[in-house]
Amino acid sequence: MRIALLPTEAGGSYRLTILLLASLGVLVSALPVLVVTIMSFSASDTSGFPPEGYSLRWYGDVARMFLEEDTSSAQSVVDSTLTSLLIAVIVMGISTAVCVPLAYALARGQRRVRAGMELLFTLPLVFPLVMLGIAFLLIAESLALDLGLWRIAIPHVVLVLPFVLRNCLSAMNGISVEIEEAAISLGASPLRAIWDVVVPLMRAGILAGLIFALIISFNEFTITFFMYTIDVSTLPIWMYSRTVSSLDPSTLALSVFIIAADVLLIVLVDRLIAGKGNLF
Amino acid sequence: MSSTTLTQKQALAFATPAFIALLPFLGACLYILRFSLSAEKGSIDGVSLQAYRDLMTPFFGRSVWLTLKLAFVASAVVMLLAVPLAFLLTSLRSAAARRLLTVTILLPMILNLLVQAYGWILLLGPSGALNTLLKTLGLIDRPLFLLFNETGVLLGLIQTSLPLAVFPIVGAVRAVSPEHLEAASSLGAGHWRILRDVTLPLLRPPLVGAASIVFAFNASAFAIPLLLGGRRVQMMGVAIRDMISPLFNWSGAAAAGTVLILLTVLVLVVSAWLVRITTQKTGG
Repeated sequence: MRIALLPTEAGGSYRLTILLLASLGVLVSALPVLVVTIMSFSASDTSGFPPEGYSLRWYGDVARMFLEEDTSSAQSVVDSTLTSLLIAVIVMGISTAVCVPLAYALARGQRRVRAGMELLFTLPLVFPLVMLGIAFLLIAESLALDLGLWRIAIPHVVLVLPFVLRNCLSAMNGISVEIEEAAISLGASPLRAIWDVVVPLMRAGILAGLIFALIISFNEFTITFFMYTIDVSTLPIWMYSRTVSSLDPSTLALSVFIIAADVLLIVLVDRLIAGKGNLF
Repeated sequence: MSSTTLTQKQALAFATPAFIALLPFLGACLYILRFSLSAEKGSIDGVSLQAYRDLMTPFFGRSVWLTLKLAFVASAVVMLLAVPLAFLLTSLRSAAARRLLTVTILLPMILNLLVQAYGWILLLGPSGALNTLLKTLGLIDRPLFLLFNETGVLLGLIQTSLPLAVFPIVGAVRAVSPEHLEAASSLGAGHWRILRDVTLPLLRPPLVGAASIVFAFNASAFAIPLLLGGRRVQMMGVAIRDMISPLFNWSGAAAAGTVLILLTVLVLVVSAWLVRITTQKTGG
């Protein structure tokens, strides 16, 4: 019980201030997303709030965008969505495949090495995204590499490493050496003990890392903004190119789908790591 | 020797794939540094400090000042909101309420930044929700201009960096032992007194850590000032992009980027150092 931090009764000015500031924080977090959702049901095509009437016409527009062949723009929304998803899958696979063994080595290795390594792999989190975007663009241009999807997938892997590693490490925390030793004493090879005993026990953390990788890669804007080409472009870039001059309500309807998917995925992560560890 | 203790060779083998994945990042860091020292604007050629010298203009100075100012104000507001949110989040009993609040706070950080920008444009625009509300209440006659200036950018920064502070603080609040608080309470300390003399001092290291990460994150923001600030709010991220996109001044952009990186690293290092000396002094 945390009665002293947020008293349930008779807290007076203290309780009031805490609740007031917390509600302000909730408002700042939630209002933009709520307004986008409300406006996507608007019947008119102006952006005045509140909408004069409600309809599903913009959702119909989104459905049409996905179902009908779009010849007006260089890259269709279907192509960008597929590219986004394909990149996300590549990023999920690579980041998890490299982070699981690293997390194992760090958890079983020396404490000092672990602290340094954790710091090294957290760096992309605080590194300015603009600079990463520009640097990757410069390298790709100057080496004249024809990377295709990897133009965007490689920077995305770097970006999700901190989140995936954090989740894998906290999954390793609860797994004691004795369990492995038991498997080995029963005749399993060390590698087999890891594969058959440790990895299954890490399952929740690995899944949480996979979902984080998916969310971050699918929503990433800044680095992709520098790296995209006419042939390889993602959904956020497609949305940006559509709204650079004015806000189109059908983009809001599309946004609501993205919001819904993200909420669903976050709830899933929260369930997987409920009670244990932090989100990051 | 137990077979489950990793030898150095094994540990290295396990870590190698991750290093290879991180290699492009390390390469990018070095590349930027090298380019910033180039004597040519468009390619790496020779060594000179010209790009850094060219940065000493009133325009870039204003951009650095604006970046520091907005990042500082946003971080201060974020900390003011994050601590109460962390208290609320840890004191909720119902799992459903806790989950709802978690999603609400976390969503802005990972949701597509464009969607958030749309939200702020619809909220703050001349015919947006806020202006309509204020007009209906009779508080204003003419719409307030909140978009494409510092106010809009500030709100966007606060919203997207709030989760970076809330969740580490939640972890730290969970670790504060209730005995401390009960002891203070049984000695007759009021809620404000406990907050000032017990809770906040116990939380100081994580609070400083969270504040410095929020500051670094906001100082290097790009998409929010680009989408909500328009051309008028030239935070460093946007100014660096403008050096490349219309001007093709690659070495200048690399030098400006190095300055930005050094600034954020400096903040992180100084705050880590502050935490260390203050915890040593209090004997914690």
